[in-house]
Amino acid sequence: MTGWLVIAKREFLERVRTKWFAITTAIGPIFMIALLVVPVLLARLGGTTKLAVVDHSGQMADSLRRTLPASDWEITIRTDDPTEASLLAEIRDKKIDGFLVIPKDALEQGEIVYQGDNATAQVPMAKLQFAVMISRMGAIKHLSPEDIAKLLSVNFSTKHTTGEAASASGGATFALGYIVMFILYLAIVLYGVNVMRSVVTEKTSRVVELMIAATKPRALMLGKIVGVGAVGVVQILAWFAMAIALIVFREPILGLFGLHGGINLPPLSMTDGVVILVDFVLGYFFYASLYAAVGAMVSSDQEAQQAQTPITMLLVLTIICVQLVANDPRATGPAILTLVPFSSPILMPMRWLLGGATGMDVALSFSILAASTWLVAMASARIFRVGILMYGKRPSMRELGRWLRYR
Amino acid sequence: MSTAVSISGVTKRFADHVAVDSISFEVPRGVVYGVLGPNGAGKSTTLRMINDIIAPDGGTIRILDTLAPGRDAAPKIGYLPEERGLYPKMRVAEMIAFMGELRGMSARDAKARAGAWLERLGLSKWARNKVQDLSKGMQQKVQFAACAIHDPELLILDEPWSGLDPINAEVLRDVVAEQKKAGRTILFSTHQMEQAEKICDEVCIIARGKKVLEGGLVELKRAAQKDGLVAIGFADDQARAKAAAVIADRSIVAAERPPRHGDTADMEVELAPGATVDGLLAALVGAGASVRRFEVVVPTLHQIFVDRVGAENAIVAERSPS
Repeated sequence: MTGWLVIAKREFLERVRTKWFAITTAIGPIFMIALLVVPVLLARLGGTTKLAVVDHSGQMADSLRRTLPASDWEITIRTDDPTEASLLAEIRDKKIDGFLVIPKDALEQGEIVYQGDNATAQVPMAKLQFAVMISRMGAIKHLSPEDIAKLLSVNFSTKHTTGEAASASGGATFALGYIVMFILYLAIVLYGVNVMRSVVTEKTSRVVELMIAATKPRALMLGKIVGVGAVGVVQILAWFAMAIALIVFREPILGLFGLHGGINLPPLSMTDGVVILVDFVLGYFFYASLYAAVGAMVSSDQEAQQAQTPITMLLVLTIICVQLVANDPRATGPAILTLVPFSSPILMPMRWLLGGATGMDVALSFSILAASTWLVAMASARIFRVGILMYGKRPSMRELGRWLRYR
Repeated sequence: MSTAVSISGVTKRFADHVAVDSISFEVPRGVVYGVLGPNGAGKSTTLRMINDIIAPDGGTIRILDTLAPGRDAAPKIGYLPEERGLYPKMRVAEMIAFMGELRGMSARDAKARAGAWLERLGLSKWARNKVQDLSKGMQQKVQFAACAIHDPELLILDEPWSGLDPINAEVLRDVVAEQKKAGRTILFSTHQMEQAEKICDEVCIIARGKKVLEGGLVELKRAAQKDGLVAIGFADDQARAKAAAVIADRSIVAAERPPRHGDTADMEVELAPGATVDGLLAALVGAGASVRRFEVVVPTLHQIFVDRVGAENAIVAERSPS
């Protein structure tokens, strides 16, 4: 067997046999179950809002009470005409959470104002606004809130399709894209850092000279990246297998927590799987090479923590941009982000799953990523070769430049 | 002649100093060869170049007559670096087998040989323990097994005695002797002349990156011995008094000095030019001085080293900052 394979085998076996591997592999699904259960659970939790309604128009309060569900809203209709100051005092004293003031001219264009300590809560405020709209509409058109609710209950849903596979619900596709992106990010960071630590161990245990005498630095670096990466592939496959099982047995699992519903994830096609896997492998190689070079530059774990900051910045930058892809996967921003090599491996699968990318886009993204991964790996190998035998002070940028040019 | 290692004109420069300055020497097959010198002389750098850990700036290195350092030579070399290190969390037997595989053995062979080595070193029951569970002495043994598991034709040991207690130093000398018997070549470096003296066949002394002296241990000693130094121990004070006239005779004895620290002789004398060891002994016997010890002092390697390198150089351990 060639040197790098022997090294890869050792790195793989030593990791797969540890508790760390068993624990992280097991935690994955627990995390996924949490992803499935917690939103459903939380949606049921949200406490009731104590709402005081001051209706100067005299036509909306009753309708409001009938529209807002009593489980979430505890409504008192105030006829004592309280002043704003006294209502504010009640909020301070926690007697109410907020108050809604409906002016006399509310049915024309008078401003209806809600003030409360939960005014920034998106969902309750949206519900309140909706209830106000229905009540006002009912008052103007002389309809009961129940009639309006009937009028509004259209059976409408969004289905996501690229014109190929059977379509799935838009929300679910979005969730899947998010989960895949997150797993990729997590795996690349987890295993990239693992490679770095493995290289640092090589130096702190002083075993490196033995290794370099028996094989080349390049083989050592390649072996470490492949060995740790293989652990990653095994773990991700295990996670995906468990995720599929979770989706299939979603109802029974939710049932255990006394719940039902939750996110209905669409199935992954073969092509989706390939895109995810290629992006993981290339992205991992890209980042692991960088991490390996950092590991070779430093002499201790503590130093490594500091020296890896530039790589962390690239990853954080990528995560900040996730929202851009999520909002509109077809826009120019995401198109650029999925071509740039440091963000493309994490964002491309998401954009692809959300239907923002064509096969050509993916091919172009892969080509750029593959080419830059190769370049990064070559440069890292040069830094690695020199750095791995150095102890002491971390190299300056100028020294790094010199290392890159060494024969 | 077939050589295990042949080095000619090898030079290595670091940022601001020359670590190895055009050094040449040849290690014949089947000998124990010591590269001796003070700290910072360039010993480790030389051995690292033979192992292709660093590349020389000039000169050529050939291993087993034809091989350049690197991929082809690696399976035939066993290397014990000065910086000892093992993977602390790896199981002992697997660690040794891993090094064997890295040097080109099959997984199955490596496993079998690792077991055999552990048995030989008396560490069998530790085979499944982690390296970090072992004492330092045991780790040294494991280190040696890891370096020799693939039965290399050439063993390169960098400062093998550093950090070894006397008992383990003895074990190491035995293993080296055994390897030599099996026809292997052992090339090692050390600054501990006493250790080198006990096992070397040939030596090369280097200082400040340059070769100072090279040759067989016996020849070197013989060459250094010609000045004629004799250690004498008298039976009693009476004998010593009787010998006084002989010792004072400047046609026989050129100079007299007290014995070395810890030596059981009473004095050391330097023969006068033209005088012989036989003549001195005859004169002493003739004077009726009974002698309990009469020995031609053979210079130790350390003395040769100090003489040739200079006392100052021998002590200097400075490595210029790099």
